[in-house]
Amino acid sequence: MPSEIITLQLGQCGNQIGFEFWKRLCLEHGISPSGVLEEFATDGMDRKDVFFYQADDDHYIPRAVLLDLEPRVINTIMTSAYSKLYNPENVYLSKHGGGAGNNWASGYSQGDKLQEEIFDIIDREADGSDSLEGFVLCHSIAGGTGSGMGSFLMERLADRYPKKLIQTYSVFPNQDEISDVVVQPYNSMLTLRRLTTAADSVVVLDNTALNRIACDRLHIQNPTFTQINTLVSTIMSVSTTTLRYPSYMNNNLIGLTAPLIPTPQLHFLMTGYTPLTSDANLSNHHNPLSSHQAVNVRKTTVLDVMRRLLQPKNMMVSTGPDKTNHHCYISILNIIQGEVDPTQVHKSLQRIRERKLAQFIPWGPTSIQVALSRSSPYVQSSHRVSGLMLANHTSICSLFERTLNQYDKLRKRGAFLDQFRREDIFKDDLTELDESREIVDGLVQEYEAATRMDYLQFSTNRRGAKVDGLGDTKSEDTKSLHSADL
Amino acid sequence: MTSKSDPVRIVLANLIAESQTPYTPDKILREFRATVDKRLSDRDLLFLLESISCKRPNCREVLDEISDTLESKDPMYALLVFAERINDETMWPSKFSGSNNSNLNSNRNPEMPASLQESELGSRCLRKSLDLSTSTPVSRRLSEDAPVLSTNNATSAPTTYSRRPLPTLHNPKDHLAQRGDLSVIKKRVLNAVSNSSALTMGSIDQLLNSSSGGNKTKAHNNASAGSGGPPGGGAGAGGAVSASSRTVNVESSPCSSPSVSHRSGISIAISTGTGTGTGTGTGTGTGTSNGGGNSSRAPSTGQATGYRSLLERCQLNTNSKSNNNNKNVSEGKDGLPDEYRTHMLWDYYRVDTPNVTFKPELSALPVDAQQRVLLTEILYSLSGVQGTYIVTLPNDELATGLAKYETRFNLHAQLDKSLAEMVQEILPLASHFMGIQKVIALTDGHGQVNNALNAALQNISHDFYMLLQQAEVELMKNDLTVPKLLYYLQPTIWVIDEIWTTLAEVDLHNYHGAAVLTHLCERIKQLEGDKCAQELIIGLARKAAKPYMRMLQLWIQKGIIVDRTHEFLVEDNEVIHKDELPEHYSDDYWEKRYTVCTECIPSFLEKYADKILRTGKYLNVIRQCGKRVMPTQQMNLEFDPTNELHVYVINDAYYFAARMLLDVLLTENDLMGHLQSVKRYLLLNQGDFTMQFMDACEDELAKNVDLVLPMTLENLLGLTLRLSSARCDPYKDDLHCELLTYDLVTQMSKIMNQQEEYWKTTDRLDLSGLECFAFTYEVKWPVSLVLNHIAITKYQMLFRQLFYCKHVERQLCKIWKENSIAKKFSPLAAELYRSAFTLRQRMMNAVQNLEYYMMIEIIEPNWHIFIEKMKNVENVDMVLSLHQDFLDLCLKNCMLTETSHLNRAIFKLCKICLKFCEFIQRSQRFFLDAELKSMVCDSSDENTDHSDSEPETSDRLQAETTLDETDTFAERVKRFDLEFTGMLISFLKQINDLAKDNTADRFMNLVHRINFNGFYSEQMEKLCVKNAMG
Repeated sequence: MPSEIITLQLGQCGNQIGFEFWKRLCLEHGISPSGVLEEFATDGMDRKDVFFYQADDDHYIPRAVLLDLEPRVINTIMTSAYSKLYNPENVYLSKHGGGAGNNWASGYSQGDKLQEEIFDIIDREADGSDSLEGFVLCHSIAGGTGSGMGSFLMERLADRYPKKLIQTYSVFPNQDEISDVVVQPYNSMLTLRRLTTAADSVVVLDNTALNRIACDRLHIQNPTFTQINTLVSTIMSVSTTTLRYPSYMNNNLIGLTAPLIPTPQLHFLMTGYTPLTSDANLSNHHNPLSSHQAVNVRKTTVLDVMRRLLQPKNMMVSTGPDKTNHHCYISILNIIQGEVDPTQVHKSLQRIRERKLAQFIPWGPTSIQVALSRSSPYVQSSHRVSGLMLANHTSICSLFERTLNQYDKLRKRGAFLDQFRREDIFKDDLTELDESREIVDGLVQEYEAATRMDYLQFSTNRRGAKVDGLGDTKSEDTKSLHSADL
Repeated sequence: MTSKSDPVRIVLANLIAESQTPYTPDKILREFRATVDKRLSDRDLLFLLESISCKRPNCREVLDEISDTLESKDPMYALLVFAERINDETMWPSKFSGSNNSNLNSNRNPEMPASLQESELGSRCLRKSLDLSTSTPVSRRLSEDAPVLSTNNATSAPTTYSRRPLPTLHNPKDHLAQRGDLSVIKKRVLNAVSNSSALTMGSIDQLLNSSSGGNKTKAHNNASAGSGGPPGGGAGAGGAVSASSRTVNVESSPCSSPSVSHRSGISIAISTGTGTGTGTGTGTGTGTSNGGGNSSRAPSTGQATGYRSLLERCQLNTNSKSNNNNKNVSEGKDGLPDEYRTHMLWDYYRVDTPNVTFKPELSALPVDAQQRVLLTEILYSLSGVQGTYIVTLPNDELATGLAKYETRFNLHAQLDKSLAEMVQEILPLASHFMGIQKVIALTDGHGQVNNALNAALQNISHDFYMLLQQAEVELMKNDLTVPKLLYYLQPTIWVIDEIWTTLAEVDLHNYHGAAVLTHLCERIKQLEGDKCAQELIIGLARKAAKPYMRMLQLWIQKGIIVDRTHEFLVEDNEVIHKDELPEHYSDDYWEKRYTVCTECIPSFLEKYADKILRTGKYLNVIRQCGKRVMPTQQMNLEFDPTNELHVYVINDAYYFAARMLLDVLLTENDLMGHLQSVKRYLLLNQGDFTMQFMDACEDELAKNVDLVLPMTLENLLGLTLRLSSARCDPYKDDLHCELLTYDLVTQMSKIMNQQEEYWKTTDRLDLSGLECFAFTYEVKWPVSLVLNHIAITKYQMLFRQLFYCKHVERQLCKIWKENSIAKKFSPLAAELYRSAFTLRQRMMNAVQNLEYYMMIEIIEPNWHIFIEKMKNVENVDMVLSLHQDFLDLCLKNCMLTETSHLNRAIFKLCKICLKFCEFIQRSQRFFLDAELKSMVCDSSDENTDHSDSEPETSDRLQAETTLDETDTFAERVKRFDLEFTGMLISFLKQINDLAKDNTADRFMNLVHRINFNGFYSEQMEKLCVKNAMG
């Protein structure tokens, strides 16, 4: 009775990062590309059954559903070495194969049309697990299939499986380069609405930050999707490591996410990872004094890892400069792997606390949780200690604001709305867009409010019934919390 | 003498003759000696005895006793008892036996008649018992000697009997001998039976077989085995092995060369013309376990005449008669009180015989003749014979201290003054020598050490006699003068003086066993400077320590204690029966089974007593694991006061045993694997298993404890173990469920022995299964040595707290998921619930941080340290203490010690969290309906909607549960909030206060964790101020 998790991969981006994710999991659990357990991995104390199940011939099959409206990416997967890994019945390609044309509305309505076939697959998967814990959705919010069909699926899943968790790994578009998808703001806005209302937790993977990290930290001039996706797969695999290598705490998805999300709306998590050196970096000859060598200068301690994780440059979300310096952490979970002396954890926490390296919300208690996790014995890491941070930080709203701004620009002009009107959902009017904007705006306001002492009394527009919270008893003095000392 | 003279046979033959039954003594003996499978039943044996003894008047009682004996003891033993009893009644005058017994009881332990009899009588009958053993060369040689002896006996007997007023009626000597024989044989049977489980003493000696006397030892054993005892009966003589192994060596050393220093330390100065044969007596010391027998000495010089032969005769007579003297002569006319009579000497017994009345006037003799008479008298005195001119003064009854062991002499008044002075110098030697003999007699049978010491002293005595003999030879040749004698004896006088002092103190303080050895060691130190005496005492100590060291060797080599006289430093308390499985007593076993008896530690082992105890203890544990304890190297453990060699041997044995047990425990029984496994389940290290188990047992554990079915839990546990990642654990099946009848707080009060009944009366009835649940872990010996009951209980306490916290966390997660539906609500509505959500999050924060604190900051680091230390562990005691330290540290830092009442606070906090969860779950359906129906609605309407519609309950039990039914949702949340926050703040405050007193504890870390961003700081300060104000 493991707490099974079903992974749904949608669209080009979702399938690509999903592919990398499974590759990584296979590597970590000693499962060959064809799903057979390697000789050396037979007596592992890991839990493969959270993400895999075993077929009659004992080979491991991922609990993954691959969905796309166009065949390109899935075909690549199905012709790769890992083609035999997946259950072919779980791979769904729309028959006409035309894709969603980067149109949210098209993806959404196609999802509607195909929902029976898709939910056949999902229901079968769900029935096959003893105690399904939830779904993990991999998609991008800018395109058509991932965003549109993803949005539709999220809504349906929330209705159909109200007791199951829905977590998404959502890739946000790169803001630094001009996208070839002109309706990207519309797509993002509409998807964000569903992420806000239907998902339980959203792990934001910001392409802006990922590209920047690839360039600045890994010294890759023009990072390919694969290189970026390797980063993403690292994040995804490490953030599930406490589920796969169970220890004292955080052994199921809900235990992992619940402490991070104090109120239902504030469920957008950002991630950070250190040390950010990939194998690509090792073969990088441009910069012989790369950060990798710098790391080896001295022994990496838990404190080093935790301190680095608090640095914005290691975050996978590009939030832009925080001019007002008011954003703060709502919650933090650090998953630390490697040779860690457990006695160091407390000292590190103390140091961070004393030096006020992190700024926390004033309206509630919060702390840095540290989960010491085992790591796969089959993957040789060049690093003694590595760490992943899952954090709920109010500055994430800058991402939404950016989307709001772009949306507003486009919407003001009423540009590119024709292709949306073609679909059923926008046939009559465009209230869907306006409603979405309102909800996302509400989200931004809430995140802003969460930086303030009076968050508990915060209300978006009108004030409702007075709710007495603890906030009354506290002073407004929050200035004592300084910004992170980087 | 042949086997016909076997007393048992004699008795049997008599009986058979009386009863005219068609048996022969041999036949009866055969029946009784037969092995278990071939032997008749007890009843038949009894019948056999009845048939032959029916003529006897006491037949009935004797047979009753025998039937009891048969049930518990070996049949051979029973037969011996039988023979003895029959004998008692017929041949032993009842009056005499009565007085005899009372005599025995007066100075010996009355509880052990068999061994007592043996020790009393055994020595008396030594010659006899030896005569029984006719089949071996050694004993044959004895038999060859026998004619000489018997002639001696024959010649001396009349004089002896006429001189001594023995209260015998008819041939008491024979009778005594017979009784003695029976006792000796019985002793052997007893030994054979009692040692049947392990080794007999004889075989032990063969095993050790290290001393040069080994061969003789064997021969001796054979000899005694052939003497009519049952097979393996050689054991009985084992106690005397040391004595027998030395005798020949000593006696065969020729002393033809001038000034040969004897091994035992008395220098024999007389050498002139004594001929080669001097001192080559063929005595084969036959000390039995009581060591009382002196060497039999056959004159071999061929020159023995006059005094010498008289001396010899005296000795021989006293040999065979001294016990009679001891026992039967209640008090000589003016002789010594009984307890001071020695075994072997005349003890200046005043003999009034008409033959010896000739008493020439000393003053009438010329000095030369005087000297000659005087020399004779001196030699008499030295050998304990009352003289004519040198007369002992009556013993001072009031003498205390060393004076008790002194004999004072009165010289004849007419003695030449110059001679008298010299004689006065010699006489202390006589006094001291006699004193030594007295002490030997007194301490005889007082344990193995005393016996060994006595045996060693016999050597010295023997050398002393040699000296006297040489003096006598000189005297014969008219070469001896008093000054010369004084000159010869001078070194001996000093040495004997020291020995006497040493020995007198032994008896004075009633030293036994180890105390004797300690005393000897002290003496050795005191005698630093007096080389001669010191060496002598060293020799004595070495020999006296032998039986002790043999016990020690047996213990540290095999873990066996053979110590019937309770001299050894380790005591086997045998709390438990041997066949009982060790699992059941593992708690007690380690501490209580074997203990060190402080009085039994000789000073030279004091520092190593602990090591010695552990060595044997380890060996015993190893044996209990079903492994053979095979010492790898030959061990030669001997005590030598001059070096510390024994220390190395002890250390080697210790490291060997410690290493071996550690290997058994750590390698063969994979202790660490078991501990890992325990940690996995009882300390929730295997989180996924815990969660799955909670999922599986949720319904069952939510019930009242009385309704929970343990079988269901056990089944669910088995299922979970097989389905979770625990399935790879080889020890998963050791895990079981246990439902205790009390909750953790009560358990703690119980453990800490506090009288305070905390929750007991009120909450006892509505304890849920969850509160009473604990895992238990069952392991087999020898892992149970470490994972014993107490350790498991400690694990369980940790488990219960962790498990309860985990449960609360799970409930909070559950309502988190249910509440997450609120994200669909309108922003306005969502805001309404925010206070509830944040309260939930605060609870989550507190509970999770508590868990993190316990798991990551306490258990894991301590475990880490424990594992690190375990890598360098040397012995099992270290393992035990490390493990206990680990657990105690965990318990203490997890606030599970009663001194801080923090665990109650934790319990209360958990309770209120659970209540809150319940409340939210109840309200959920109301506000869900309300919210989803009208996404936006007036807040005032909502409030009424949210109010609980359950019927109002009039009784409000506790403040924390008081929910005014008219309260709105928000008000109730607020109430919960206040209560929770209040409790948490006071909890944190309490820790704060504790941390101020005791900075060593880590409790403060928990405060830092829960209050990481300073959220509670102000409230805590407020509370501080409030407390300070009053």
